[in-house]
Formats: sequence, structure tokens, C-alpha cells
Amino acid sequence: MTIVSLRKRKIQITPYLFILPHLIFFVVFIGYPFFSGLYISFFQYDYLRPEATLFVGLQNYIDLFKTGSVKFIEFWNSIKVTLTFVIYSVPFLVIIPLGLAILLNTKIAGTKFFRAVYFAPWVLSCAVISLIWWWIFQSQGGLLNYYLKLIGFDTPRWLSTMPYAMITIVVATIWWTMGYNMVIFLAALQDIPNDLYEAAEIDGANSWQRFVNITIPMLQPVLIFIIIITIIASFNLLGQPLMMTRGAPAQPTGGGATEPVMLRIFNEGFVRPFQGSAAAMSVIVAIIMMVFSFTNFRIFRQRD
Amino acid sequence: MKRITRFVLPLILVLGLLLSACGTAATPEAPAQPAAEQPAAEQPADACGVVELQYWNPFTGPDGPFMGEMVNAFNAEHPDIVVTMVSQGEYYTQLSTAAAADTLPDVAIVHADQVSTQAFRNVLRPIDDLVAEMGISGDDYPAGVWAAGEVAGHRYSIPLDIHPMTAFYNADLFAAAGFTDAPKTGEEFDAVAAAITSGDNKGFDITGGFPVQQIFQMMLQQFGGSEFNADGTEATWNSEAGVQALQWMKDVQSKYSEPNLEVDAELNAFKTGTVGMVWNGIWQTTNVTGDGVEFDGRATAVPQIGPKMAVWAGSHQFTMPAHKTVDPCKDQAAAIFIKYMIENSVTWAKAGQIPASISVRASSEFKAIEPQASIAPSVEFAFFPPSVPGITDAFGPLGEAVGAVMNGTTDDIKAALDDAATRANEILAQNKATYGDAPKAP
Repeated sequence: MTIVSLRKRKIQITPYLFILPHLIFFVVFIGYPFFSGLYISFFQYDYLRPEATLFVGLQNYIDLFKTGSVKFIEFWNSIKVTLTFVIYSVPFLVIIPLGLAILLNTKIAGTKFFRAVYFAPWVLSCAVISLIWWWIFQSQGGLLNYYLKLIGFDTPRWLSTMPYAMITIVVATIWWTMGYNMVIFLAALQDIPNDLYEAAEIDGANSWQRFVNITIPMLQPVLIFIIIITIIASFNLLGQPLMMTRGAPAQPTGGGATEPVMLRIFNEGFVRPFQGSAAAMSVIVAIIMMVFSFTNFRIFRQRD
Repeated sequence: MKRITRFVLPLILVLGLLLSACGTAATPEAPAQPAAEQPAAEQPADACGVVELQYWNPFTGPDGPFMGEMVNAFNAEHPDIVVTMVSQGEYYTQLSTAAAADTLPDVAIVHADQVSTQAFRNVLRPIDDLVAEMGISGDDYPAGVWAAGEVAGHRYSIPLDIHPMTAFYNADLFAAAGFTDAPKTGEEFDAVAAAITSGDNKGFDITGGFPVQQIFQMMLQQFGGSEFNADGTEATWNSEAGVQALQWMKDVQSKYSEPNLEVDAELNAFKTGTVGMVWNGIWQTTNVTGDGVEFDGRATAVPQIGPKMAVWAGSHQFTMPAHKTVDPCKDQAAAIFIKYMIENSVTWAKAGQIPASISVRASSEFKAIEPQASIAPSVEFAFFPPSVPGITDAFGPLGEAVGAVMNGTTDDIKAALDDAATRANEILAQNKATYGDAPKAP
């Protein structure tokens, strides 16, 4: 189609026209806010008090690294909470859906039904699943403790003591989101050509060998994708602790034992309201997430 | 692949439907009901015609319909003013985004401890002149709740109600233990709590989450302490009184309560009928008394445990948000509306609140509303935090310290309170530095 000659190089416009609509949304909702956030992070800033805007350079960042200050304690506590959640939840959110996908990829009766069953929680909103699990875990007549008591087990305070509070959030999240990963794994499994398995079978490979030597390598690109999006999704933890534990239990040194970093940033920016330092926190979290994703790519690409 | 699409697609459709259902969830609005020819006492000047007012509040719970009823009554009596009420959650986020877009309502409810912050953030404007015009003065209110509406020498709000910490008790358990009256002193409290605590029954349940920080504030005041110094520049809850207060809470927890309860667990336990007493906000009245429970659940004023009576309370206050251009017609109409709502706040009492106005509380109509009327005397002992911006931020560390002690994360009461005070002082200093001494000139 249209070809523009620019310094003797030829640039096709058509492809850019195709990505233009998305580009506009990307610029408006991601590009601009990102750079605007970066800019704000160098200011003392509250959008309702323009008269108080003050350039503070790196002060918002320095505050977050000043040992013993309130911001330092609260911010790094919440980072620790979120990282703990990522470490606990991501392996389960990869392994369980993979296992389910393999089970549901077999030709037995009722697979469609089970696929729908395992996927179903994912369509619920965060508030709904949080409430469901709150009712299961809560201490006064909650389902779990009721049955634990019946069979004579200890009845921990799931929502207000550690490590149980974190466990409840991890369990609720796994139940909620495993269906999504499972569907992606299922799609990938069905793309693996059957003749590979047949050939392996003829060569005498048992099912474990087939899994390790065919399934896993063939799934690798999808596996990397799943791990990365699951890490990012887990980093964005917010609703479950907000609804189930409200950050409890409180810690004497400051911060809640289940207060995730996204909640801290929201509170800093909209409750306190110091949008400058909230923006600085966001930038640091973004850097941490980038490092995570990059490391992931590196680790998995080495196997190629 | 195809098979997957076949079952994923319908699910995505369902998801879409669910999401859109959430998106269109309506906020309760009180429909304007312009009534027929009805003479009203006060009307804005004829030049204004029919004035439309937007009125926002955070009453998304069961109290919303009572407020809607009051607004409808006002609209019926004032054909020249049409008030539209909007109740919404995430209230202060809504207010601040509306402030940024200059789409704030004409009248808004703001909590007492938020008035100063919202004033400094240019969400509210001073209304000294209008309050004088309305003929409303501080004489009709307890000093504390009236002072909460004054920021840097200017009046920003008029109290509508006071919602105090309330003692709820299970009269059936009381009777079984040989008691008829709710405790009014520390000794009586111990006696009844000890008598009820046996087996699965607990005398007094207290959690490690909301409202333990508020209970601590109340005990601190009762033992003669206070949360902050008078000008709100320093946290003072780590005093002798503070240690006494928290020690008392820890003691009653170990003697009469289940340990390590999460937020709301005390209410749920109370509703099962196995708990003698719980303390929570007066807004829980319908939840844990009357038809809300299968036993004889009652609400009354909290007892005096320490040497000095004090009751934690919050307060909803009428404010007028800031606008780029001020419309005198709307101001006048808003003043008429606010005055009407205050004078008729006896309807609001039915929603489970105590009217702030002394004259309304003295009316025979209010005195007929139980249990509000018998809780009402306690609001004379209500205390409010100093009116400085960002004061609620400074309560954050206190909530953490009290929660940590009650949840057993730490045993060292003094150290926890000291540590929290240090952090709160840092926050207060930061707030002082960013907010300055007075809001931007209106």
C-alpha cells in the first residue's frame, strides 16, 4: 500500500495503522500514567493542593531507604508480605493447574464437566471469593473450624494469627485463579502432536519419561508465560487480604502481617494522601517486578 | 483447541455479564418529590427559582433509607428546593476525585475526624457566615463535637449526630447468672463477666482488630490520659494511663474472652448467644439486638471502668464542599436544607444514631426512641481528636500497637505504645510540614 520514502529507507505504514488503535489506548492508559508517575515521584505532590507542590528530587526515594522511619518500615514490610505471597502462591499456581490440565487432557468421561468446574471460580469477582473463604475460615462458626472441632483437631485463628492468615489468602487465591492457568495449559497440551508420544511409546518410554522428555519441553514457552503472568498477578495482590484479613494481624513494629504492597501504595496515595511518595513506591515495585520477569526469561532461556 | 473455545467462550460471556452487572449497580438515590402548593417557612429569594441541590453521604448501609426519608420530607415541604441524595462507598476517594474535577456536591456529610483533612485539601470551604445566618451555635452541642468542625479558626461543619461506642449485652445470659442490669462500673463489669464465663460461654469478647483501637482510646481517656497533646503535634498515648488501659484490655481478654479473635468475630460470637457482652459502635444495634438475634440482646451505654467517664465516638457532620464559582442561591438553599436536617434529626435517630443537637435530644420524640435515648447521656462524655489535618494517619501506628498486643504478637505493652508514639510523631511532623498551618485562603 502506501510507501513513504524516508532517507532512502522504505517504511510501511500499513502495519502501524493496524496497531494504532491499541497504541492510542496504551499511550493514554499505560504510557502517559507511567511517565507521569515517574515525574510525580520527584515531587511532594497532592493533586488537590497544587499550591503545595514542591520539587524534592530523590527525597521520596531516600525516605523509603531511611532505616527505622515509618515509611521504611511500612513499605518494606508490605514488600515482604507481597514477596512471601508470591513465593507461596506461584509454585502451587503452576503445579496444580498443570496437574489438572494433564488429568483433564485424558479421554475419560466427564472431562468437559470437570474443566468447567475447575475453571468456574475464575469468573467470580475477588470480593465474592474473598467472602466465601472468609466464611470458611472465620473463627465463629466458620465451616473449617466447625469440622476441625468435630474431628477433634486444633482450631487455629485462621484470619488473625500467623502463619495462618497468609495461608488462608494463598488457599483462596489458588482456588480462585488456578482455572485460568489450567485452561492455558490445556490448550498447550492439545497442541503437542500425538505422534511424539506414540514414537516414545514404541521406543519403550514409560509415562514419567514421556512427561519429562516430551510434555515439559513442549510446554516450555507456555510454562514461562504462565510463570511470568502468575508472578505479576501475585504481585498485584490486593483484594483478598483487604476483604479477608484487613492486613491483620498487626505487628508491634508497624505494618500488618498480611498488608500487601499495593494496599500500602493505595493508602499512601489516597488515604494519607502523599501521591509523590506513593509514586516513588510504585516505581520501586515496578523495578522489582521487572527484575523478576527478566530473571525468569534468563533462567528459562538458558535451556534452549 | 476448538473444544476449549467452546466452553471458554460461554464462561467469558457469563463473566462479562457479571462484570457489567456490577458496573451498573445503582447507588441509592432519593427521588426528588416536588410536592404540591405547600407553604414553607423559609424559601430562597424568588429570583432563584427552583434550586437543585446535590447531597452526598456515605450511608450505604441500612441507615441510608432513613436519610432518604428525611430528604423526601424536606423536598415535600420545600417546593423551591430539590435535593438529590447520593450515598456511596469509598467515600473520601470519591470526594477527592470530585474535588479534582470540580464536581463536588452542594452539601456533603463528612466524619468529624476528617473535617480538618478535607478542609486543608480544599475539598471543603469555611461556612462561618452561613452558620451565623442559620442561627446555629455551639451552645446547642457538646463542646468536643462542635470543636471538631473548626479548622484554623474557621467553621467548616455542623454536627448531625454522635455515634458512640456502645455496650451490647445478652440479657438472657445475664439473668441466668443472676444479674438484671448492665454493669456501670469496673467492679460490676468484672462481677458479671466472671459469672457468665464458664465452659463455652464467655463474659466479654474482644478482638484484635476494629474496634480495639477505639476501645483503647476510650480506656486511655477513662484512666485520665489522652491520645495527643492539645495542639495535635505529639502522641501521648504511651503514658501511665495508656499502659493501664491496654493492660486492662489484655486482662479482660485473658479472663473473659476467646483469644486472638479477628475483626467482627466478637459480634458473630455474640449473635450465637454464647457471649455476655461486647463493645462496638452504636451502628451495630439492629445487628445484635431485637430481631437481629434469637435471645434478648440489649444495647446500653458503656460502663465507667477508670476514674473518669469517657466514651469513644464518631460524628457525621454537614459540610459545604468547595466550588470554583459560588452560587448564592445554592448557598442559601443549602443553609435551609442543613438547618432543616439538624432540626429534624430525630428521624435520623431511628437509624441508630444519637442526634448531636442538645435540643433535639431533649425532645420528647427522641426520648421515646429506645435504646438510643438511654445511650444518649453517654455522648456528653464523647471525646474527639484534635482538629489537625491528617490526624487519622497518626492513629495508624496506635491501631497496630493495640492490635499486636491483643493478638499476642507482643507482650511488652509499654514498648509497643512507645514505639507507636514515636512513629506517630514522625507522621505528625510530616503532616505538619506538608499541610502547613492553615488551608489555602478560600
